[in-house]
Amino acid sequence: MRFRIAILAVLLCCGFSALLAFQARFKEYAGEEDNPSAVPADAYEKTEWTFARLRYPSGRYAGYSGERGSWPTDFPKADRQFLAGVRRLTRIHTRSTEQVIDLINDPDEIFNWPWVYAVEVGHWDLTDTQCKLLREYLLRGGFLMVDDFHGTLEWDVFVQGMSRIFPDRPIVELPDADPIFHTVYDLDQRVQVPGLQYLYSHQLWEKDGRVPHWRGIYDDNGRVMVAMCFNQDDGDAWEHADNPQYEAKYTQQAYRLGINYVIYSMTH
Amino acid sequence: MFEFLFKYPPAIFSKGKFLLLSGWPVWLLLLLIVAAGAGLFWNMRQRHGLLSNPRATAIWLAQTALIAVVLFMLWHPAISVARLRPQENVVAVLVDHSRSMGIADDGKPRIQAAEDLLNGGLLPDLEKRFQVRMYEFGRDAVRVDEARNLAADDDATRIGDSLKHIAGEAGTMPLGAVVLLSDGGDNTGGIDRDTISKLRALRLPVHTIGFGPDHFAKDVEIVDVAAPARALAQSRVSARVAIRQHGFAGSKVKLLVRENDHPIAEQEITLKPDPEQSETVVFNAGAEGAHSFTIGVSPLAGEQNARNNAVVRLVNVAPRKMRILYIEGEPRWEYKFIRRALEDDPSIEVACMLRTTQNKTYVQGFGDKDRLLQDGFPSKAEDLFKYDGIIVGSVEANYFTPAQQALIHDFADKRGGGVLFLAGRFALSDGAYAKTPIAEMMPLRLPTEKTWSRNFAYATLTDAGKESVITRIEEQRDANIARWQKMPQIANYAVMGAPKPGAVVLMNVNEAGHRPTPLLAIQNYGHGRVAVFATAGSWRWKMLQDHNDRTHSEFWSQLLRWLVTETPGQVLSATPRQVLPDDTHVPLRVSVRDKNYDIVSGATVETTISRPDGGSDTVELRPDPLQPGTYTGDYTADKPGNYVAETTARQDKTDLGRDALTFRRENGVAENFGAAQNRDLLQKLSSDTGGSYYTPSNAKKLSGEIAVSEAGITAHDNLDLWDMPILFLLVILIRGGEWLARRKWGVV
Repeated sequence: MRFRIAILAVLLCCGFSALLAFQARFKEYAGEEDNPSAVPADAYEKTEWTFARLRYPSGRYAGYSGERGSWPTDFPKADRQFLAGVRRLTRIHTRSTEQVIDLINDPDEIFNWPWVYAVEVGHWDLTDTQCKLLREYLLRGGFLMVDDFHGTLEWDVFVQGMSRIFPDRPIVELPDADPIFHTVYDLDQRVQVPGLQYLYSHQLWEKDGRVPHWRGIYDDNGRVMVAMCFNQDDGDAWEHADNPQYEAKYTQQAYRLGINYVIYSMTH
Repeated sequence: MFEFLFKYPPAIFSKGKFLLLSGWPVWLLLLLIVAAGAGLFWNMRQRHGLLSNPRATAIWLAQTALIAVVLFMLWHPAISVARLRPQENVVAVLVDHSRSMGIADDGKPRIQAAEDLLNGGLLPDLEKRFQVRMYEFGRDAVRVDEARNLAADDDATRIGDSLKHIAGEAGTMPLGAVVLLSDGGDNTGGIDRDTISKLRALRLPVHTIGFGPDHFAKDVEIVDVAAPARALAQSRVSARVAIRQHGFAGSKVKLLVRENDHPIAEQEITLKPDPEQSETVVFNAGAEGAHSFTIGVSPLAGEQNARNNAVVRLVNVAPRKMRILYIEGEPRWEYKFIRRALEDDPSIEVACMLRTTQNKTYVQGFGDKDRLLQDGFPSKAEDLFKYDGIIVGSVEANYFTPAQQALIHDFADKRGGGVLFLAGRFALSDGAYAKTPIAEMMPLRLPTEKTWSRNFAYATLTDAGKESVITRIEEQRDANIARWQKMPQIANYAVMGAPKPGAVVLMNVNEAGHRPTPLLAIQNYGHGRVAVFATAGSWRWKMLQDHNDRTHSEFWSQLLRWLVTETPGQVLSATPRQVLPDDTHVPLRVSVRDKNYDIVSGATVETTISRPDGGSDTVELRPDPLQPGTYTGDYTADKPGNYVAETTARQDKTDLGRDALTFRRENGVAENFGAAQNRDLLQKLSSDTGGSYYTPSNAKKLSGEIAVSEAGITAHDNLDLWDMPILFLLVILIRGGEWLARRKWGVV
């Protein structure tokens, strides 16, 4: 009898660990979507890469987005429109839907997705455990693209979190010659990509973020681990790529930059 | 008994020619036997009286056999044999005086036992009929006056060279036979074909008398160690150690690898009941330069010969950086993580070309060296053959032109490089490779349907994988197996077909609910090597383990080092044995190729050899007439120590390349190995030359049998066989048997 119980226990453990070992599949976040979009037919296809959006806590700083937090800004329309571009313009095997990486409820899932996008990181509020996890993720070879944060205050909040992830690594301006700007498209000449507010305010910047920056953190081998699109809003450019009022030159750069970052993360 | 029944020793029958001396035709003999049989049969049919059929048949058979034997004797059977004429021939007696003959097996050294055998009767018997010349031999045969006070002091045994020497003297004297007293502990690995051919041409029989036991009661010996002659810096290499033991079955011993007396690897093994076993030990080859590794087992209590427990092997760690071209057809994580895995490898440089979009290829190369990759995959042999290895990722077969497909095939087959195929959406079966020349070079059969899937699965080591250096992450075998059992799942795989003959499967892929299929398979192909790694999901071994974990990088480093370590340059030098135990002869062999790896026949090839004393010698190599593109030469390594041979090749004013080789001369070690009697070698030597093998106890027969020889001055004798006791005995047995049967059946 005890032998049978032991066998059963072993089988259950194996089954449980096998479940844990699998990569999470596409899941909808109804109620948290910023710009809902229909779920395409191939949403569940298994592919090499997809747009992995980081679901992070943003309680203390998430004034305007309330309970939902800032992580799903432009979600999921921006993600899916960018994915359509990646499919059309590159040979990356990708599905048409994003993957939400839930840092709050299923943090270890991030290790299955070596490229992750986080938006509005001027509002993130990471726990020590999450900082440690992100540090480990990046040191193993993960890549983090952050976007859509503007001005001094949001930068400070971002840096406050980032410095807990990497207390020992400086944030630097990425030089034009860095391969990250040349993997697919040569992006020596870049412009500030505005958010949708530009259509109403007619100004490219938000808050006091007048000058766009492409910053990053390098690893010990000179590879970019974290790419920061500061004072710009590539997410809006993807989200509103089908908006005739939003200028194509901004969309074009946002797509090219995003694709360069993705290809860079898959080659460096 | 044989000689009592058949009148002559077996050697007469095995070497003689059968004759019937009566002069009457053989057909008549057969006819008379048949006629007698028929007559007896007719008579039996008429008069069998009370006998039943089986009994009548038995009587008829006995009577017919009796008549056949008598008729055979009347036909005067004889055997014609060549025999040495008494007092006109020389018999050479060679006594082994190498150090192994000094071993006292039963309280008496073997050489003393040989002396006693000779002086106790064998030599006087031989001297009665022949002139006897005594020799002692070790490295070579040396004439001695008598077999007394011989010292077992030579540090090598070369039976072949010694016999060649004796055979050389056959032209100056009527040499009728050779008697060789030895333990058969030859240090050259056997008797070469030339020597045997020469002895057979002279029809000179070599009779051997073996001394010593077939094996020691308690001994562990390292029979051989197969280790690579070349390695890349800081790479793991594996040595296959052949161990022979007697009396220690079940004991645990440590298999040790030492360099300069410092242990660098150790592995505990259990000695099996079978005397012969092989074990694999893995160790790090170290930094650039020539390394001497002592590989063996620690001595055991009660061992009779502890000096045969270790051997030395040389591994030359070349300063060369091997270059690999990796072509990938789509961006994927495997590409990134393979590149990262090799970033810190000082011996491997990977130039990459990745198809990022339909029209763009992203090249990650090394400046001018890979400039041509901007134009696409090389289409000329001299451009592709600059690399030592190729990785083909998820690239459709039809991306390559037929000429490029042939080049990839030739890269392994002709150039001797390594080619690794990865799985993917556009790779292997899914990339339509099955009907290309590339499929032929793969170690696994390609299924006809598409088999790529993005299902997670475990990679498990096969028995071969448990021993392979490619999959060795931990130095210790058992720890390595345990490590692989905890490895994260791979992200995808392709189902592959069965391994081809000669292929070795190192890993299988195991997905729940599916049968295991080969994941990693390797094989030698042509002059090169080919591997298939049927996944592009090993990146999870990096992303799902601690960032300091080096499993992923070590695996890739070892796989790619295997792929390219043996890739030759245009000039490749070799010698059959890199460690010369008590030997001085170093044959050199150099292969020379041009940029397309076609053979070069008219090159000037020189080898400069740096001696252990700091001096150097130059050897000019000559073209081998039988193998175009190969140049040979010989060198004599007089002094013990390490030698470095650097070979250069030129054609006209074009430098074709250079290669370095190391070898080592050792003194006083050869006789420590194979110290038991090598009975197989002695028996084979005697049977190959028409002689016989004897033990000291039955060597008395030698003097009677040695005269049968076709060498020297011989006379052909016809020896009568009709009066062999066996024939008379047969007559009595047949007649007696018939009489007894008749009495029993009541028909006398």
